[in-house]
Amino acid sequence: MSTAPFPTVTAGWPLAPGGPLTRPWQPPPGRGPAAGAQNAPRAAAPPAPPACMSPVHSPVHEAFERQLAPLWQRAQAGDEAAYREALRLIAARLRATLRRRLQSLPDELEDLVQETLLALHVQRGTHDPAVPVSAWVMAVARHKLVDLWRRRGRREALHDTLDDVDEAALAAHEPEAGSARDLGVLLAVLPEAQRAAIVLTKLEGLSVAEASARTGASESAIKVQVHRGLKRLAALVGAAPSGGDGAA
Amino acid sequence: MKTDELIQLLARNAGPAPRALAARRLAPGALLGLLASAALAAAWLGWVPMALYQHLGPWFKLVYAGALALAAAWLAARLGRPAAPTVGPLRAVVAVLAVALLLGLGSWWSLPEAERTVALMGHSALQCPWNVLALSLPPLGAALWALRGLAPTRPVAAGAAAGLFAGALGAFGYALACTELALPFVATWYTLGMALSAALGALLGPRVLRW
Repeated sequence: MSTAPFPTVTAGWPLAPGGPLTRPWQPPPGRGPAAGAQNAPRAAAPPAPPACMSPVHSPVHEAFERQLAPLWQRAQAGDEAAYREALRLIAARLRATLRRRLQSLPDELEDLVQETLLALHVQRGTHDPAVPVSAWVMAVARHKLVDLWRRRGRREALHDTLDDVDEAALAAHEPEAGSARDLGVLLAVLPEAQRAAIVLTKLEGLSVAEASARTGASESAIKVQVHRGLKRLAALVGAAPSGGDGAA
Repeated sequence: MKTDELIQLLARNAGPAPRALAARRLAPGALLGLLASAALAAAWLGWVPMALYQHLGPWFKLVYAGALALAAAWLAARLGRPAAPTVGPLRAVVAVLAVALLLGLGSWWSLPEAERTVALMGHSALQCPWNVLALSLPPLGAALWALRGLAPTRPVAAGAAAGLFAGALGAFGYALACTELALPFVATWYTLGMALSAALGALLGPRVLRW
């Protein structure tokens, strides 16, 4: 009788530890493996294994976490140089991890790396210090990858994990690639106050206080505008993939 | 745009990461949602007379809804942070539900058989879940808005958690206006109403929680 609501609430939820990131696409009433199969009609493969992007399963993952964690801790506390280093490390790592997923869309790789970096920056307040930073990074990256597939109308990759890394790419440290996006074009879409705040503090390198003096806006207003502007940029970048073939 | 240019841009003047984001967004939404559903309950149905609070029933509703709201808020806050573990809050949610259902069941068993049907159905069994759902709509909007500002990577689960949270707040508001006193009634129909709200949240999650 009164237990009826129970399954409604919990059935679709990934209960298993380590399972959380593997199946965000199953509708809640889905029961058992059938739900996964119905979402991925072509995939004969079983639903993704529970251990997904958590960093504990390979030496490569562990090395990444070891390298990144101390940098990230300083970055979160406000150390700009450490933040830059951390983002570079993450970018190289993302490139190596995502390359294999994007074999059919190689032009999208750098776009996706940049989109993920923007999302990581805008959402960096959501990193819980108790969670390994590499797991957090990869969860965001996977979210962005799935988003890309969805925009592209592809579904079969949704149950993929980001476990393995293209180690050759990781070692090679290939020269910096660019995306087809033009920062100037993106910035031009922003409201004036947001654009000015970003250009002054982020491109011209003024301090927040200097930017505040220059524009007459308060320091906290500048910070808010920068944050909103970057958030807007992240949304723009996600909504309109550049260099795409315009496939709807 | 070169990726390194983007990195330079992001890092420059970045400052420390913002803190306590989850609580900062969920708490005001929760408060507003709760006030809205309590006010709606008062305006639409009228609050129960104070004398009723001498019984156990109203307190059971308030404690049940309040505890579930706390557990579901914890769960929603975790689901708003990528890769954050959800086992703890899930256990809390299940524990609150289990205790409420067991109390309802125990009370039902302890009654003489002739009174059981009345204790279960009361006089408003079929309206109760829908009223709870209706009163949970304002908090649901607030909770989804709060989650949108975080980074839910599992939109269905996050939506369901937001829905459960909103349902619990809606039930809290409805408890102020509902004259049913029997525990089996509350354990059944309040729970069903909150589950409806959770289902609605799960449905809305993938559509609303894009980032």
